[in-house]
Amino acid sequence: MTQDSGMLKHTLRRLLGLLPTLLMLITVTFFMMRMAPGGPFDSEKLLPAEIEANLNAKYHLDEPLLRQYFRYMGQIAVLDFGPSFQYKDWSVNELIAQSYPVSLTVGGLAMLLAFVLGTTLGIAAALRQNTRVDYSLMGIAMLGISVPNFVIAPILILLLAVYAGWLPAGGWDWGIASMVLPVVTLALPVTAYIARLTRGSMIEVLHSNFIRTARAKGLPESVVIRRHALKPAILPVISFMGPATAGLISGSVVIERIFSLPGLGSYFVTGALNRDYTLVMGVVIFYGVLIILLNFLVDLIYAWLNPKIRYDEKY
Amino acid sequence: MPGAVFWGQLMNDRVLRVQDLAVHFKVREGLLFNSKTYTLKAVNGVSFELNAGETLGIVGESGCGKSTLARAILGLIKPTRGRVLWLGEDLGKLDEEALRKRREDLQIVFQDPLAALNPRMTVRDIIAEPLWTFYPRIARVQVDERVRGMMKMVGLLPNQINRYPHEFSGGQCQRIGIARALVLNPKLVVCDEPVSALDVSIQAQIINLLKDLQKKLNLSLVFIAHDLSVVKHISDRVMVLYLGRAMEISSRSALYKRPLHPYTSALIKAVPVPDPKLARIASDTGLTGDMPSPLDPPLGCVFHSRCPYVVKRCELEVPALRRMENGDWVACHCAEELDLTIGKAPT
Amino acid sequence: MKPTRQFFVLAVCVPLLSACGSDDGERLPGSLDRHARAVELVVAEDGRPVPWVLAVEQVLHRDNGEEPVTLDPHLAEGTPSAHILRDLFEGLTSESPTGRVIPGAAIRWNISRDGKTYTFYLRREARWSNGDPVTAEDFVYGLRRSASPSTASNFAQVLLPIANAAEVLAGKVPTDQLGVTAINDHILQIQLKGPTPYFLRLLNHSSTYPVHRPSLVKYGSAFSRPGNLVSNGAYILKDWVLRSRIELVKNENYWDAENVIIKQVFYYPFEDQSAASKQFRAGELHWTYGVPNNQFKWLQRHYPDELVISPWAGSYFFGYNVTREPFIENQDLRLALALALDRDLLTEKVTQFGEQPSYALVPPGIGEFVSPQPEWADWTQAERNDEARRLYAEAGYSEDKPLRFEIRYDTGQNNNKKMALAAASLWKQVLGVQATLVNEEGKVFLRNREQMVLTQVFRSGWTSDYADPFGFLELFRTGHGRNYYGYSNALYDSLLDEIASERIPARRRRLMFEAERILLGGLPFIPVYTYVTKRLVSPRLKGWESNIMDHHYSKNMFLLKSVHEGEASAAAVERDEERPAEPEESVTEEVLPTATEEGQANEAPGEHAAATAAPAAEDGQASEDPGEAANSEEVPKSEPEDDGATAPAEAVPAEVEALPAEIVESPQVQSEAPGETGEVPEENDAAGGDSGSGEGFRE
Ligand SMILES: Nc1ncnc2c1ncn2[C@@H]1O[C@H](COP(=O)(O)OP(=O)(O)OP(=O)(O)O)[C@@H](O)[C@H]1O
Ligand code: SF4
Ligand SMILES: [Mg+2]
Repeated sequence: MTQDSGMLKHTLRRLLGLLPTLLMLITVTFFMMRMAPGGPFDSEKLLPAEIEANLNAKYHLDEPLLRQYFRYMGQIAVLDFGPSFQYKDWSVNELIAQSYPVSLTVGGLAMLLAFVLGTTLGIAAALRQNTRVDYSLMGIAMLGISVPNFVIAPILILLLAVYAGWLPAGGWDWGIASMVLPVVTLALPVTAYIARLTRGSMIEVLHSNFIRTARAKGLPESVVIRRHALKPAILPVISFMGPATAGLISGSVVIERIFSLPGLGSYFVTGALNRDYTLVMGVVIFYGVLIILLNFLVDLIYAWLNPKIRYDEKY
Repeated sequence: MPGAVFWGQLMNDRVLRVQDLAVHFKVREGLLFNSKTYTLKAVNGVSFELNAGETLGIVGESGCGKSTLARAILGLIKPTRGRVLWLGEDLGKLDEEALRKRREDLQIVFQDPLAALNPRMTVRDIIAEPLWTFYPRIARVQVDERVRGMMKMVGLLPNQINRYPHEFSGGQCQRIGIARALVLNPKLVVCDEPVSALDVSIQAQIINLLKDLQKKLNLSLVFIAHDLSVVKHISDRVMVLYLGRAMEISSRSALYKRPLHPYTSALIKAVPVPDPKLARIASDTGLTGDMPSPLDPPLGCVFHSRCPYVVKRCELEVPALRRMENGDWVACHCAEELDLTIGKAPT
Repeated sequence: MKPTRQFFVLAVCVPLLSACGSDDGERLPGSLDRHARAVELVVAEDGRPVPWVLAVEQVLHRDNGEEPVTLDPHLAEGTPSAHILRDLFEGLTSESPTGRVIPGAAIRWNISRDGKTYTFYLRREARWSNGDPVTAEDFVYGLRRSASPSTASNFAQVLLPIANAAEVLAGKVPTDQLGVTAINDHILQIQLKGPTPYFLRLLNHSSTYPVHRPSLVKYGSAFSRPGNLVSNGAYILKDWVLRSRIELVKNENYWDAENVIIKQVFYYPFEDQSAASKQFRAGELHWTYGVPNNQFKWLQRHYPDELVISPWAGSYFFGYNVTREPFIENQDLRLALALALDRDLLTEKVTQFGEQPSYALVPPGIGEFVSPQPEWADWTQAERNDEARRLYAEAGYSEDKPLRFEIRYDTGQNNNKKMALAAASLWKQVLGVQATLVNEEGKVFLRNREQMVLTQVFRSGWTSDYADPFGFLELFRTGHGRNYYGYSNALYDSLLDEIASERIPARRRRLMFEAERILLGGLPFIPVYTYVTKRLVSPRLKGWESNIMDHHYSKNMFLLKSVHEGEASAAAVERDEERPAEPEESVTEEVLPTATEEGQANEAPGEHAAATAAPAAEDGQASEDPGEAANSEEVPKSEPEDDGATAPAEAVPAEVEALPAEIVESPQVQSEAPGETGEVPEENDAAGGDSGSGEGFRE
């Protein structure tokens, strides 16, 4: 009990400690965006001066920069990311709210798939270390890591969507069918990476003394693996998963393009290219918070898996 | 317990026979494409017997194959050659499941006490796990009671039952290890350097504890250490191991007075003496150089590269482990000629 | 001529050549897409398709490029928004499928003698989607809103010809000073600053659309959301799932609703053209926004029916910064570079989609305007190269002292990088010029180009918002916001002024011709090519036609039945009283441009006689058409039935790769479609189990 409340305190302290980081991130992004050449309303077409003035006035871009900055900070303090310059019918909040569930679903499912499949394959390989099974699994994993998404995805689309017609070639309707290809494509390299990670750490753990002890106790091998080896073996996977999950659920630009998904990832790119200041800021802040929270979650899981850490935290 | 009658019959009889036991490892060296595999003979033809309630000390330098031997005895590694007969039954012939069942009788206490305990388990779980495994239906209260009893028996406070291993000292961890090994009431316990990692003062405590428990529970013990002083107090007989081979197996009394093998003699002389005045320098022991690599052991007598009494024959012919008149065993061509009585100057 | 061009000519012309060739709209046996073969189009007297060739499900799936930035007509910019808004709203004028100005919300109009006052008579039957009548006041309100500084439209320049528009935009006078008046509910008067001959064209631009005042008042800036948006066009906004799809449904209150065939339109955004083309191939789209670069050959081979390429009112060129060395006052040097560019090579190897080499500024096909061509346009490239070398040497450059400059470009959709690279290497090859490529991020490039400090030679181009050459010529006016060239010529400027106020079309054209001639003499830019639009269109989708503005209204389109659908549903139609009578009056129209190509391709020796009309007989009507009968043999009805029955069994996927090759190579032969060719598509769709129902219908 006391341990738990200690942890809670620690948790809160760490969360607060991350606020300055976030503030820095916001500030740096804000000024960097403004410093980038060109503005949101520059385009190939002629924009008469009066019109540009009207636009700048509407979005307060005619104010001094610091004033804009504080205006913006005031806005985000109440969680209002403002209107998008580019998608004029929508506020940044709406854009994120609509696209984020998609990225979260695709990324989350991909991570889940990668985790389950990756650890399973990794363990399978570790238990058959240096056998043909091991070599072929790791060979495939190496392939999975080194072949990029944008190569795998079109092949999958051609085979499963265009030729076979089993799955849609793209688009998103919240149906399982529309999720399969993006999730699988997104999960493949991560699966491969996790499999390798798991294999390595599993082999190491299986050589550790307490596993010998567990075997000496007379436990069946399956119990040895499940009860003793699994948790320590996936620790490295857990710490890898923090940033990896953040990466996956913040939306992969490549996957979104290839499968025409309305996810968050593309906003980074279109927002930046169009100098859609508010959109970029919104997405960056959102992503920042996401990373922070996820790393935090990973720490919690880590502590749960590793009592030593829990113990150390009291000091 | 069904085995009890049988066990009674075998009292003062051989419970364990180890015959020509060998464990070889394949070791690969070099990179992927120009790698070579060597055979590492960690244990190479060891034989001995053990009576019920008896303690055999095994002594040897680091890397001589003690742990490997210990694990091979218990069937935790498959031997390359030879047999281990437990109560007349060849452990090598048992399948994995049957062997697993023998864990009730055959237990081991490991070398590094902390590392041998799962850091993610409480003391309760560590000690109780064998119980759950062998008696899945046992009631929780009973398990707890037994765990607390074991803890008390090995000198731990039962209220520390919910602690994790890293919250204990090394000595306490070893007590946990012992409790865990004993919780199923085994008949043979192999202690693989149970005290090497501990302070001298604590070493004595643990050795005494083991001694007491052995008496109390009528255990057969194999007690492994890397120096002779540690095994002195606990062993009935002592086996000296060098490069995977037994050099000498003697009763305690004889061994410490008049060792049969030049290596044993050297080990005895190497025992650190608490009194600095009496401390001898290493060269006095007659042991020169390091132990040769087990990958490339000397031909003939494996000890010949370091033996002060080496003769021509030693380099050509492997000395067999022979029984001497007094009933002790030795593997030295010159055993009869040499008088290695402790205290005498080397001839 | 290159196959590219030949193809495009076909695409444009075939609708006119309705009499030539008779074959089914057959799909290639080898192509892998899932677009079913269409039945033949039959149109009634009024030019509308007869009901029984129409697909049961009139749902159109359009790839719309990027996500539209807004559906507020007055804030809209960019093509994706424009496409959807044309479906949702109707301006005072509208466009025919070929791009002619036709009456829209206004049924007719008067233009005053001085060309400055337009009086529009609105359709009395025009209704908003909620049933409210569309009134002149709605237009006044819309135009005022569009011009209002508080709306901050960034396309309000379209309104600039209207009297006081500039002042309103600048906030100098209130919006009610805009030269727009509602005379009564149905008469609208617009005062212009000066005569603007292209003004009618501007009135189908979204900036001039009316808005429904009550809903704007009620919903404010959210008025253009699904559920809120009240529109006066052929469609209503049903749903908008951000970056997934925009769904429109037919507006039953639209004045011409009875002629709107497509009931539902889905617009999908695609950031990646190859993603769209895959979805098209998977049968999930009828219409793509574009096609992936560099896939021309492949598409032409595998999707000749679907690939549609047509000219577009836009020019690609390189600009000179004539305010910077080495191009200041150095007309000959500028000409040298222009001469040394082998445009045929560039369009063939770099752009690859049948773009036309260009020697002038204004793309062809805008009204009746014809650009002046420089003398060297008729030379061979070798002659041009010789002249270029001479001018280059004259300008004082040589191998030892080569001309050095930077080519600046952004990486956009238009092969900019490849184009810059190709130009640099041509200049190097022909003249020995040392050109450095500078690639810049989009906005950085725009800024640099505008500032004219760093630029020397840079990527440029223009597509006009309205089909009028003036939009192109104006770019080079002294002080114009988009005059990145630093070009300044008093004579040219005064000509532009004259053009702006000239309202006799022929004289205006002459003035524009003269202005362009002057410009080509000064050569502040290097013409390269004129744009084309390139897209994949389902052979079942008809009713649209190529036009240089690339405006395509869903209300004009319709989906033909697939052959299978034809079989399945024709059973019902067969008993329809309309059917027996109809064929006599109807005129078969071979609309599919590629149909002719395809027929030849499929021709298999020795099978002509039996099979000529087989596919036609399959849909049960075309064989009775007089035009068709002329060159096709009537086939007993039992025959296609056999086809239908046996075809699925002969499904041979292995053929799939082999066949398209033949298509490209096979000579142009009489377009008879052997019965055999009917099999593969049949079989492809047989997955849906249609062949059984096909038999049923013939009984
Ligand atoms: N799994 C293994 N694979 C290969 N070689 C091994 C393996 N286990 C042990 N060895 C080698 O066998 C030899 C004997 O090892 P072992 O652990 O039995 O020595 P030890 O006498 O217990 O040493 P220590 O006193 O250090 O514990 C060593 O050379 C060791 O490197
Ligand atoms: S056999 Fe020879 S070398 Fe070996 S211990 Fe005896 S004397 Fe020494
Ligand atoms: Mg050891």
